[in-house]
Amino acid sequence: MEGEPHKAHRPAHSGAKAEKKKVKGKGKEKQTGFNEKAFAPKSGRRAEKQGRRNVEREQTRLHVPLVNRTPDDQPPPVIVVIVGPPGVGKSTLIKSLVRRYTKQTLSEIKGPVTVVSGKKRRLTFVECNNDLNSMIDIGKVADLVLLMIDGSFGFEMEQFEFLNILQAHGFPKVIGVLTHLDLIRKQATLKNTKKMLKKRFWTEIYQGAKLFYLSGVLNGRYPDREIQNLSRFISVMKFRPLVFRNSHPYVLVDRLEDLTPREDVRASDGKCDRKMTVYGYLRGTNLRDRMKVHIPGVGDFSVATVSVLKDPCPLPDVESEKRRKLSEKKKLLVHAPMSDVGGVTYDKDAVYINVPGNFTRDNPDVTQGEGEKMVIDLQDAHETLDTAVARSQIRLLGSSSKILAIGTDSAGEDMSVDDLSGDESESEVSDESSFTEEDMTDAESDVYGGDEEFEEGCSGSKTTGDRGRTAVRNRQRSMRGLLTASKPAAEIDFADSDSELGLDEAGDGERGKFNHFSRSRNEDPNHGLGDVENSDETPLDVESDVPGWKVDLQVRAAEIFNRHATRKNRIDWMKMIYSSDRLPEYIASGSSVKTDEMEGKDPDEEFFRLKPAATVEEDKDWDMSKEVYTDNVLTKWENEELLDPLRSLFITGQQASGDVDEAGSPYEGDGGEFEDLEEDGGEGFHDSDAPGTRPEDPEEAHRAALSAKKEALKRKFDEQYDDPETQKLDFYDERKDEMARQSELNRAELEGIDAESRILIEGCRPGSYVRIELDSIPCEMVEHFDPTYPIIVGGLLPAEERFGYVQVRIKRHRWFAKTLKTNDPLILSIGWRRFQTVPIYSLDDHSIRMRMLKYTPEHMHCYATFYGPVALPNTGFCAFNSLSGDAAGFRVSATGVVLDIDRSTKIVKKLKLTGVPIKVFKNTVFIKDMFNSALEVAKFEGADIKTVSGIRGQIKKALAKPEGAFRATFEDKILMSDIVFLRAWYAVQPRKLYNPVTSLLLSDKGKWTGMRLTGQVRREEGIRTPIDRNSTYKPIEREGRRFNPLKIPKKLQAALPYASKPKLMKAQHRQTYMQKRAVVLEPEEKRAIALLQQARVLRKDQIARRREKKEGKRTEQRKKAAKEEEEREAKDKEKRKQYMRVAGMKRQREGEREEGRTSKRSK
Amino acid sequence: MTTSGSLLKFSGHLHFRHRIVLSILSGKPVRIDRIRSEDKDPGLRDFEASLLRLLEKVTNGTVIEISYTGTSVLVKPGVVVGGSITHDCPLSRSVGYFLEPLIMIAPFAKKPLNLTLRGITTDDRDLSVDLIRTVTLPHIQLFGIDEGLELRIKKRGAPPLGGGEVQFLCSIVKQVKTLDFVEPGKIKRIRGISHAVRVSPQFSNRMIEAARSVLNRFIPDIYLYSDVYKGEESGKSPGYALSLLAESTTGALHCSEAVSKPGVPPEDIARQATYALLEEIKRGGCVDRSHQILVLLMMVLGSEDIGRCRMGEPSPRTIQFLRDAREFFGVSFKIAKAESTNPDSTDLIFSCLGIGYVNANRTLA
Repeated sequence: MEGEPHKAHRPAHSGAKAEKKKVKGKGKEKQTGFNEKAFAPKSGRRAEKQGRRNVEREQTRLHVPLVNRTPDDQPPPVIVVIVGPPGVGKSTLIKSLVRRYTKQTLSEIKGPVTVVSGKKRRLTFVECNNDLNSMIDIGKVADLVLLMIDGSFGFEMEQFEFLNILQAHGFPKVIGVLTHLDLIRKQATLKNTKKMLKKRFWTEIYQGAKLFYLSGVLNGRYPDREIQNLSRFISVMKFRPLVFRNSHPYVLVDRLEDLTPREDVRASDGKCDRKMTVYGYLRGTNLRDRMKVHIPGVGDFSVATVSVLKDPCPLPDVESEKRRKLSEKKKLLVHAPMSDVGGVTYDKDAVYINVPGNFTRDNPDVTQGEGEKMVIDLQDAHETLDTAVARSQIRLLGSSSKILAIGTDSAGEDMSVDDLSGDESESEVSDESSFTEEDMTDAESDVYGGDEEFEEGCSGSKTTGDRGRTAVRNRQRSMRGLLTASKPAAEIDFADSDSELGLDEAGDGERGKFNHFSRSRNEDPNHGLGDVENSDETPLDVESDVPGWKVDLQVRAAEIFNRHATRKNRIDWMKMIYSSDRLPEYIASGSSVKTDEMEGKDPDEEFFRLKPAATVEEDKDWDMSKEVYTDNVLTKWENEELLDPLRSLFITGQQASGDVDEAGSPYEGDGGEFEDLEEDGGEGFHDSDAPGTRPEDPEEAHRAALSAKKEALKRKFDEQYDDPETQKLDFYDERKDEMARQSELNRAELEGIDAESRILIEGCRPGSYVRIELDSIPCEMVEHFDPTYPIIVGGLLPAEERFGYVQVRIKRHRWFAKTLKTNDPLILSIGWRRFQTVPIYSLDDHSIRMRMLKYTPEHMHCYATFYGPVALPNTGFCAFNSLSGDAAGFRVSATGVVLDIDRSTKIVKKLKLTGVPIKVFKNTVFIKDMFNSALEVAKFEGADIKTVSGIRGQIKKALAKPEGAFRATFEDKILMSDIVFLRAWYAVQPRKLYNPVTSLLLSDKGKWTGMRLTGQVRREEGIRTPIDRNSTYKPIEREGRRFNPLKIPKKLQAALPYASKPKLMKAQHRQTYMQKRAVVLEPEEKRAIALLQQARVLRKDQIARRREKKEGKRTEQRKKAAKEEEEREAKDKEKRKQYMRVAGMKRQREGEREEGRTSKRSK
Repeated sequence: MTTSGSLLKFSGHLHFRHRIVLSILSGKPVRIDRIRSEDKDPGLRDFEASLLRLLEKVTNGTVIEISYTGTSVLVKPGVVVGGSITHDCPLSRSVGYFLEPLIMIAPFAKKPLNLTLRGITTDDRDLSVDLIRTVTLPHIQLFGIDEGLELRIKKRGAPPLGGGEVQFLCSIVKQVKTLDFVEPGKIKRIRGISHAVRVSPQFSNRMIEAARSVLNRFIPDIYLYSDVYKGEESGKSPGYALSLLAESTTGALHCSEAVSKPGVPPEDIARQATYALLEEIKRGGCVDRSHQILVLLMMVLGSEDIGRCRMGEPSPRTIQFLRDAREFFGVSFKIAKAESTNPDSTDLIFSCLGIGYVNANRTLA
């Protein structure tokens, strides 16, 4: 019904109606559009108010500008997480969405599914199961959450828990999706339900959060129209960078392979630590060399290698759009290695390839899937790898006749594993399976002899057995070490210069010639000459090498060569510092000199190496920061001529700024022709595509100079006459500009350099598809791998690898039923990690001390301190008492934020030491029973003590006699019966428990149990709680205190002034005058009294009767209320019954659906 | 737990300071072996041991294990705490030796650092306190660490007996800013401090005179202050020195210094300092050669953006620092010629992507 479009309205163009409208329209014509009068302010005051309000509203829209570290050109796919209780329709929604984007129906969804959703956006759909661990992990990486709610049932506890987890780790965008609305029959109920759920959803997210309603399922999918609407919302969604994710690299693993040699696995009975690779899009920030990662649910690992692979699900670009055929439109890209997409299913330890129908090789009209292709390719290999390698030949130079022999190292093992693991799309293109590529390059190097081929072949042969392209640098070094072990030293030099050539040649215009030069220079292994000799000698070499007709070019060639040599520094500095082992002193001193004179630091060579000369050692001995100048460096400045060229470096120097702007060279004036040539050469070298772009024409130059001058003048004028206030940007715009400028700089700085050094400098960029190799992974992770549990690889900052005491501000969740107790284990989710630890709660006591709390306060924040891995201050976290699914009630027990990190804690608890006096003098008292020895007393000398009654005193000195007794003085005389106490503070250290939640290592991933409470253990083991006899409560017996009467000596009493005299009178013994007399009443007095008496009796009786009456009424009322209560109770009961009936029906339906699913599967 | 895996090993006594600093900042434990193992006096020197002791005072939870022979050190860094600390430096090195690493660490402490160091304030091996005050501190100010940054010279102390005292104050930061400093500019002013303790104040004036005779030809804006300390503030030994600094239009600083030697007239000392300054200016770049490490370290620690700085050729210490920074932080620099069209220029542009180091020691609330 929804699918049918309504008939559009067609206004009449002729007839009475049209006429009528025309007349009406004419009058109205003025009214159409914006009526500015209607919104004009009535008064100036109001106008001002309105303006102010508008500005305020504008400000509320603004947020603190945050830098987004994700590149704009190739962003990683947006992670869309579908969360909800089982049976709510998550898989159906993913299937519908995937079908919407790819026109393919996936039969079973496992793990992340990546699709292209637009020109600039890819989406990764992940289904999150109902396990709390999965929800925590996925909440940390989700960009967009589709929270699925069963409309016929309402919200469930897990959804609230999930929302709280999201809140603690930075709130991603959330869209609610209501399903099963077709189960509500009555229209009114449906409307009410929608309204109610929307209200609840809005209070959880924010007012006006988007909530989608999906009606029933058609063909196992939601209606196309509704899915399309949803997908539109997803595609226009904007994401604000979240602080934590903007400072950590992370990968949502969409594929993993076990690379452990099969033999090792077999030998250890599958229990050995595994070598594993994980694949996925890098998100967040750049993943650098030597970074540590944490896999939630598994542990911390250091990354063995990272390599960037070809994007398996690339964004469409101009090229791909051109190549796309019409028939391919049907088959859009989808990347879901854990599901059965693309004909290849990756299981734990095997690869299954789906082949539709019957299959013949070389069938042209059946398009081959990647899996089939791979198998065919594998079949095509007729020989093993080492024979292929052995057969391959490499010639070093185009002209060389000898073939370079390669030691056939045992690189086969890696290869075979690679073949086993089987790559899909990269099989021919990328270096992943270097098998075919190497074959090819080897073959090519046979056929051609050109420089480029030589280069390729060389690098190919070097990286034999390498799997990743990005880590070539490291490998090269290790390979070189391998080579040095087996080859003579001359060849080391050789190999070194080769790689140098490879670097030099990037973007080199006149490559052949110069390379020839540098090569001839480099090949000489004994070339240990200084700067001057070197540059002198090489042209000579050139002369002897080149034919005669080039001799007249010698000067020019030498010039260019020299420039080339100096320019080469650009590459050399990085290379020499980062990829050579040369001592820094040599690099610094002979920077422009040599590239040969290799200072090998291999262990072998070090053995024979002479100790460096003592002169070098001596002045280096001191680790000095001040430069030591030798005398001749300084004395040369005594030469006056040398001082003059330096003038240009001062503002008073002759060279005006204009000159430097022009060409950057101060020698502009002399020798125009020569200059031109140099300029040309430089230009050509710099950018071989566009030679000679510099305008030669002097007139033109003049014109340009003039215009520049004009521009400068104009700028100056503007500066002077424009109002500086209007030019000034506000804070927001300023920050935005700054950020834009910086990101532009970031982009520009890394643009021109080759991929290899780029990775060296910035690591892998977010958005690239990476392969991360990890060593020593527990075997359980591989063995109990389940694709429905998300695996995340999160990068750790240097600070986060450490352990320490973390202080957090914590608040018990108001929905959590119990209070939290100090020293009870708590499961925390901070940063990437999930772990159990033992916190101590505390509160700041008047900013003097941190005082331990036994329990968390009821409705207040408090501090908690625990031992564990460090997280940066300001990181949010949430805490749980139990992660298991069968825990009753709300499981998020607390939330909070990290405040401080330290290596020690300052939490104290109060400790009262009590003692009793043994002897009381005036102010001096001897006290016992507080300490056990004189030493203890000595420690507390001078400490403040107090009696219960509040008399203050001080500990003086230990007494000799009863051990531990001491002398103390008080401000007043105390009683023998007083208890004296000393208030001390006792430092409490949190227990050092760090128990990572290794849920991914379990076969049953929801059943992780951490450390249990003593009570829990006792209950489960059936042990009774031991009772300490001294701790039992006994009735307290306090004997009444008897005070002696105060006696004042008669003499003193007499001397006292009246005011101070005791005024206690004795009771009178004798009868008073009145008591002695009898009173006889007069008759009328008697009567009057009797009358009053009677009236009082009557009144009493009246009140009593009234009270009785009221009481009767009240009982009546009570009876009535009880009756009403009973009725209401019955009604409630009925209601509850009704509700449970519905719930039961739902559960039954669910069960049936489950059954249906399994039965379908079995079919 | 994970500390054993990330232990970094180095050998030799060279570059001791920056390795320890990198270890403390990165939190990675470091083991330095073979410290002067071939020497006739093997093991750590007194100033190195004293530096370790000072760092132990500045940090909380640092574990330093020195082997029996003193030839190997294991440092498991703790948390940089800061606060008010007093330290007596040995007379073998000046306080500059101790101040340099602390300047690198202090901004990342828990509390603002208030450090009092006693010892020699000026010698010919390390940066004198004058240079640290006038050149080193402006260099960290480039990175947004400016308020509360101060070095007070309370007493001067010349070698051999010292007796000087300086107070170093440094506030804490959350994160250092990125540096983009590629315009060296032109020298616009020259400043200098010539000090003399326990000698005739005339010495200081003679040095100023001599320095001016060379520098006056370049620029008129030269102020050389004569700073004579007397009595209690002048330390225990006689001595004098001239420190010069040149500032460019863009704020680039170059500095030099020369310290009195027995038997050398003050004029020669002044000329030495002057020529060294000219040499330094000629080397170019935006950063003084002796401060390359400081600037590069701060660039490494900067936010996750490209930081650029133009410098002269790196000194050997800088080169080793670049390698070590890669070991500790995994950061490599892009090093390119600053002026590709000018063959004479040896200036290089160092650029790197900062690691976005956040001061984890900082306390909230």
